Amino acid sequence: MPGELPPAGATWPERRRRALADPAMRAAVAKSTRSLAVKKEAVFATYPAAEAMRKRAVIARRGSLARVDALLDELTRRVEARGGHVVRAAGPADVGRYVLDVARRRGVQRVVKSKSMATEEIALNEQLENAGLHVRETDLGEYIIQLAGERPAHILVPASHKTRQQVRALFDEEAAACAVDPPVGDATPELTAFARRQLRADFLAADMGISGGNFLVAETGTLVLITNEGNGRMTTSLPRVHIAVVGIDKIVATWADLADLLQQPALSGTGQRLSTYTTFITGPRREGELDGPEEFHLVLLDNGRHELLGTEFVDILACIRCGACLNVCPVFRTIGGQAYGTMYSGPIGVVLTPLLGGLERAPELPKSACALCYACADACPMEIDLPRHILALRRTEVERGMEPWSDRLTFELWGRFWANPAGFRFTGRIARLGQRVYVRDGRLKGAPGLVGGWTATRNAPPLARESFHEWWARRRASRTGS
Amino acid sequence: MVGAAACLEDRVVTRKPSAGSLAEASGRDALVAEFVESWRGLEGDAWIVRGGRDEVRRTIVEAARIMVEDGGPATSCRVLAWSTADLASLDLPGLLAQQGWEHVPWPTGARAGEAAAGTNGAAAAGDVPGAEEVTRTQAELVTLAAASDLGITTCAWAVAETGTIALYATPATGRLPSLLPTAHLALVRPSQVVRTVPDGLRLLAEYMAREGDPPSAVNLVSGPSRSADIEGDLAVGVHGPRRAGVIIGEW
Ligand code: SF4
Repeated sequence: MPGELPPAGATWPERRRRALADPAMRAAVAKSTRSLAVKKEAVFATYPAAEAMRKRAVIARRGSLARVDALLDELTRRVEARGGHVVRAAGPADVGRYVLDVARRRGVQRVVKSKSMATEEIALNEQLENAGLHVRETDLGEYIIQLAGERPAHILVPASHKTRQQVRALFDEEAAACAVDPPVGDATPELTAFARRQLRADFLAADMGISGGNFLVAETGTLVLITNEGNGRMTTSLPRVHIAVVGIDKIVATWADLADLLQQPALSGTGQRLSTYTTFITGPRREGELDGPEEFHLVLLDNGRHELLGTEFVDILACIRCGACLNVCPVFRTIGGQAYGTMYSGPIGVVLTPLLGGLERAPELPKSACALCYACADACPMEIDLPRHILALRRTEVERGMEPWSDRLTFELWGRFWANPAGFRFTGRIARLGQRVYVRDGRLKGAPGLVGGWTATRNAPPLARESFHEWWARRRASRTGS
Repeated sequence: MVGAAACLEDRVVTRKPSAGSLAEASGRDALVAEFVESWRGLEGDAWIVRGGRDEVRRTIVEAARIMVEDGGPATSCRVLAWSTADLASLDLPGLLAQQGWEHVPWPTGARAGEAAAGTNGAAAAGDVPGAEEVTRTQAELVTLAAASDLGITTCAWAVAETGTIALYATPATGRLPSLLPTAHLALVRPSQVVRTVPDGLRLLAEYMAREGDPPSAVNLVSGPSRSADIEGDLAVGVHGPRRAGVIIGEW
């Protein structure tokens, strides 16, 4: 049984159409992805230690994945020995139930969250809000997305598809709703100042902080949380209760492993040597300490991960969510993250969405959202062979007969005809006859079916009057004839 | 490099090693220089102090003026500082009183009630507080920290390559002073600077071997809070301190 992901909303053609019709979004995405990709290249070029650490980190990560169960047991023992609580959650409902239980027991009304893909995956906010809790996303990008009622469009910079004017409009609306002063302008410091003021108030009033986690260190039961803004520190330091929701794939065995991994999300994500804030949390606040949470809960989320162990897809669990594959992907750079209809967009999303949510959840992604250019495979610091996985998923779709009958028929006929020279030549002749109606000004225009999709946005030359084969045969005939 | 740090170059307290002196400098000096360069590269403020305790004290005032008031006359300034023996030798209460600034020591567990009494230093009932009382104390500490202008801490170690300081959470060294005040200033001894993050983590491993466990929280901080969430444009100070400074010296 795979896990469960929130539904996509609109259909794939609809999402794709909306994305392509939004030039502001496309410009914003093109700019942010290019800038992140350039920064990544630059840091690896100027910081030689980065590459050596990366290579060791790949080995460390795969080594840990090879014994996940034993490590999770060790982690659990360690966290509990430090006074923390650990639960294993199979899917979204388990997490929701547990968090709401704790909230009820501790009289929690207001929750602050630091950015976490795991909680996006299980739509935790919705579950909590439906139960009457006030939930505030505190990462600046996530805050913008929450106000817009959208889904993060990039795993690292969730609001990178928004322009500053759009952000200001959202903040103005929020200011009116909260009866506070709106931002004074749309310059970055002005917008940031507004968010800081609003989010500060949320932090100080919150009873519960919910975070994700970048890594879990089994040998000491330590949660590793990486942020640039410091909202991770706030979320895990101020409220009375801290709950971390972390995928079981985040486990590493030792601090020595972590030492090689710790800088990788920053290096490949933003081109920084280390993110601004890295926090190691081992259990709740201790005897004599006056700050930090009184309770620490660690929810280990499975949601379809465990069953990937031992399959050809296992290396996908080594992903550190750096976003490097998104930034180099021509499909992502063209349509942005929203069009994927899932919180995991770009190449990693194309693979992870069907693996976690079932192939039926997003059959269009492996099939249509990849050009097999292999840029992601080159960019991935964890050396995950994303294109190979995409091909494997395509194969599975065909084996299960999931593609529409028209596709099956088209490819069946195509295969038949082009399997031998006579068939190939025959289709050429038919196409040349058929295209006559559609050739205008020496170009193919307004053709039907598959070809029409191509000619709608591109210039296609018509097939030549005579094929090479025909020309060759004619030439040979005239030579021998003379 | 941030403007204030640059303008400080001209003042007495800062001396950035020139290329020549760098070449002759010992490995330690080179590490310190690299740390300062990395830290400033992250929009952090940095002061290297060579003169010892008195100069460190002078620099603290200088740094507070610059980070809290942007160089203007800091008329009122509330400073929340860790209460460690290491910092005690700097006599922060005396130093800040001279400026007419307010000093709030981080209460250690046994003296929690005292802090709850407020910022004027008046001691309240000094009983070791029960769980109930500690909760109340934390809420008040949060309010107090959020209303502070400057947090002063030391650090466990610092990393030259990445411009990072490590803060361990213990009863005397709370999480809030480096998190909630408008600015955070950390005092770093030259001997605490290591080259790489893994070097620093080895020091943490030594601590774990000694104490049997990591601290409840370790924070690695590399410059002030930053975000690129609005059009990829760098914004400093979204959540944490708006400015982060380090003074490297012996005291
Ligand atoms: S698949 Fe690789 S490149 Fe993509 S987010 Fe994961 S680790 Fe980064």
